[in-house]
Amino acid sequence: MTAPRSSGYFRIRYEDDFALIDTRTQKVWLGVLAFALAGFPFLANSVLLDLANQVLLVSIGAVALMLLTGFAGQISLGHAGLLAVGAFTTGVLFRELAAPFWITLPASAVAGALVGLVFGLPSLRLRGLYLAVSTLALHFMVLHVGQEYETRRGLSSGVVIEPPSLFGYALQDGRAWYVVLLAASTATVLLSLNLLRTKTGRAWRAIHGREAVAEALGIHVPVAKLSAFIVSCTLTSAAGCLAAYYRGFVSAEAFPLFVTIQYVATVIIGGIGSLLGALLGTLFVVLFPYAIEASMNALGLTDRLSSMIFAINQAAFGVAMILFLVFEPQGLVGIWRRIQAWVLLWPFGQKPLGRP
Amino acid sequence: MNETVLLRLDNVEVTYHRVATAVQGVSLDVREGAIVALLGTNGAGKTTTLRAISGFIGLDDARVTDGSIAHQGERIDNRPPHEITARGITLVPERSKVFENLTVAENLEAVVPRRGADARRLADAVWQYFPALAKLRSRDAGLLSGGERQMLAIGAALSCAPRLLLVDELSQGLAPLIVEELIRLLQVIRRDLGMTVLLVEQNAAVALDIADHAYVLENGRIVLAGTPDELRRHPDIREFYLGFGGERQRSYRDVKQYRRRRRWYG
Amino acid sequence: MQLAVNVAVLAAIYALISCGYVLIYRVSRVLSLAHGELMMLGAYGLAVTASLFVGHPLIAIGSAALLSVLVGVLVYVLLMRQMTGESVLAAVLTTIALGILLRGGMVLAFGTQTQYPLQQLGWTNASLPVGPSARISAAGLLLILGTALVYGGLFAFLRMTRWGIRMRAAGQNPLLAAQRGIRLHGVYALAWGLATFSGGIAGMLLACDAGVEATLATIGLKAFPAALVGGLDSLAGALIGSLVIAFVEVALISYVDPLLSDVVPFFVLLAMLVVRPWGLFGTREELDRV
Repeated sequence: MTAPRSSGYFRIRYEDDFALIDTRTQKVWLGVLAFALAGFPFLANSVLLDLANQVLLVSIGAVALMLLTGFAGQISLGHAGLLAVGAFTTGVLFRELAAPFWITLPASAVAGALVGLVFGLPSLRLRGLYLAVSTLALHFMVLHVGQEYETRRGLSSGVVIEPPSLFGYALQDGRAWYVVLLAASTATVLLSLNLLRTKTGRAWRAIHGREAVAEALGIHVPVAKLSAFIVSCTLTSAAGCLAAYYRGFVSAEAFPLFVTIQYVATVIIGGIGSLLGALLGTLFVVLFPYAIEASMNALGLTDRLSSMIFAINQAAFGVAMILFLVFEPQGLVGIWRRIQAWVLLWPFGQKPLGRP
Repeated sequence: MNETVLLRLDNVEVTYHRVATAVQGVSLDVREGAIVALLGTNGAGKTTTLRAISGFIGLDDARVTDGSIAHQGERIDNRPPHEITARGITLVPERSKVFENLTVAENLEAVVPRRGADARRLADAVWQYFPALAKLRSRDAGLLSGGERQMLAIGAALSCAPRLLLVDELSQGLAPLIVEELIRLLQVIRRDLGMTVLLVEQNAAVALDIADHAYVLENGRIVLAGTPDELRRHPDIREFYLGFGGERQRSYRDVKQYRRRRRWYG
Repeated sequence: MQLAVNVAVLAAIYALISCGYVLIYRVSRVLSLAHGELMMLGAYGLAVTASLFVGHPLIAIGSAALLSVLVGVLVYVLLMRQMTGESVLAAVLTTIALGILLRGGMVLAFGTQTQYPLQQLGWTNASLPVGPSARISAAGLLLILGTALVYGGLFAFLRMTRWGIRMRAAGQNPLLAAQRGIRLHGVYALAWGLATFSGGIAGMLLACDAGVEATLATIGLKAFPAALVGGLDSLAGALIGSLVIAFVEVALISYVDPLLSDVVPFFVLLAMLVVRPWGLFGTREELDRV
């Protein structure tokens, strides 16, 4: 159930309690958003479309990581490994069996679930730092397996994949991808919103807060932890499959630790414990390198430093992450909430405790 | 007991997270060489007040947002903690009072005494005050019993050569006999070293035994102040803090705050 | 025999680097994943001072070492100080971000080619015989000696001096330490300085051995399992952990598959986490705290 709103909005049926949005203002804004999203591909050029596609693709993984780290509190530094699982499953199935899209996607999801189970097993014994480190170790091992496959098959530059065909229509152009990715992203967000409202989601939030207390309240902690890992990793693996098709090839070098850090950055910069945060963080992290490039263009530095662009991106990304961690630990969502609180409490600055 | 005021809180207000005030309009004086008791139940704001004085309040995202805390005439509210410890204001905390993986001797060595104080003399004094600890010199502090821990905590605080000792919940979790012993010890320390003590306590009987002056905190405000004798005679203190009186059945409407209001406003 | 020498040298490298992980973790409960990059900075530092002080190798080395300490203290004072008291994840991510920043920065500053400071120092990396059938490079020997000195010094410092006790106290209970007059910022800065110094020494010796180039930092990441296997807050553990990992790595590389070298430390790490998460000598952490 969503939190009840203040005066003016009364719930008169049981269905009202279960609805995701209830006020008219919210419905209007949602309509505006839907309209904008639907109209976007017709107005945008191919560059913007590609950007939007990237944002949508990353958002799936970001939401998945937010579920695991932001809500269930299980720190995972192995995210790139999960993406690799999905991508490699797709690549291997395509190469060895010429499997079509409607087989590789579910297969990636299943592979993700299984690997997620393995990634989740350490969480039954470990917490915090140690858990993060174990996921890091698993990430390296997954990548090693992928690397081995490439070496054994003599594929030094990765597996090349043909574009998938959905209902007989080959997905090649930006707009088609936009539709598919938008659908996938929306499905992920809706799934997450609903999952968080159910017993599972509440169990996750409970184990994030205080595990021992959650256990005392009757929540089966190991099941909750493993379910968090499995759900998150399934989603991530599916995202990896889509990413493989979108890029057109699969290679172990495409999933270094830096990719995991970028996803973790979306969660941190966006703000832990909020789906809106995952989306805001995604926007920031995906658009950041382009912003850097654009500002370099504006400053006329591109010619001289074009060879260093990757290093500059890295350095700037490090700086941005540090700035957020130091000055705004609650992320973009934190800024949003502060504005909200200021508006709601105005003209008062504080609310006293201890008043009877 | 001196007449100089060592610590003065004047209309202090402490706010958490910029939105919720925990303590309001608190004014109290601690004279040099006195033992002052601050009484109150859970949630009254005693620990918040102590933390505001000791400077460690920023950790909980809280600030002194009104009023002032002055030590020897100089304001110390919202100053960085190391400035306050350097002035000789030392806190014996409520929980987590010793370094568990260090030995007793190491616990006392780890302390950084106030500049200019005679560290050697104090170290010897601590062993004299706590002969039980002297026998446990090389034991890990984590293996000590509750009473021994509290002794070590007070001993370590003394090694800092404080001028003002803030003690948070001395009696918590300890058997009455041990509490007796520690309370007597505070009096001895006050007498020998001229120490000023601000004692925060839930156990009013014990605190009123040794205090020179006492304040009662409730819901973030000081509601009563006076000498222990005065307080011991006060009907509300007798009923709600000392456990006497109260013949009728208790109901929600008899909550002390409600009844006090009726008595005072009625 | 040669195998034993290789293990010893590799273990020394890991030990010098993981000593930094342990120091910082023990004193400030922060896992500094930027340590590999800081080690690399030490190596580049030597390249810089070697070219500045050509012909005066001892000055070059001394100033590079001093520079390491300074860099460590600066990293704490300028950056990690702001993260004191924040959540563990945030602090770790800050170090990761720092590592990323340093990597990018070093490529920008020094380019991607390998540098060989040894030539500028005017020394040669002689190959010395050990026993009848093995050889060790001079740099390798210095690494082992350096490890012994650094560890010996740290043990003595932490156990026997007042400031060592205060550092341990600050690591156990920072709030209580602050209440007892210990200046936490000073203690943490000292820990970072010492940690970066130790990593820097490893970096410098590696630079003499094989040259400095942008991928040196990955060795730092491989040393991290050594710290964990031994126990993140135990110096003795770091030493033993480094030996264990080095032994397994060299054995597997020699007898099974050379490609495994990058993944072996993490495999051992995972095994240890499953069996005994707090490492061989670490204090049993509050893994199941209420």
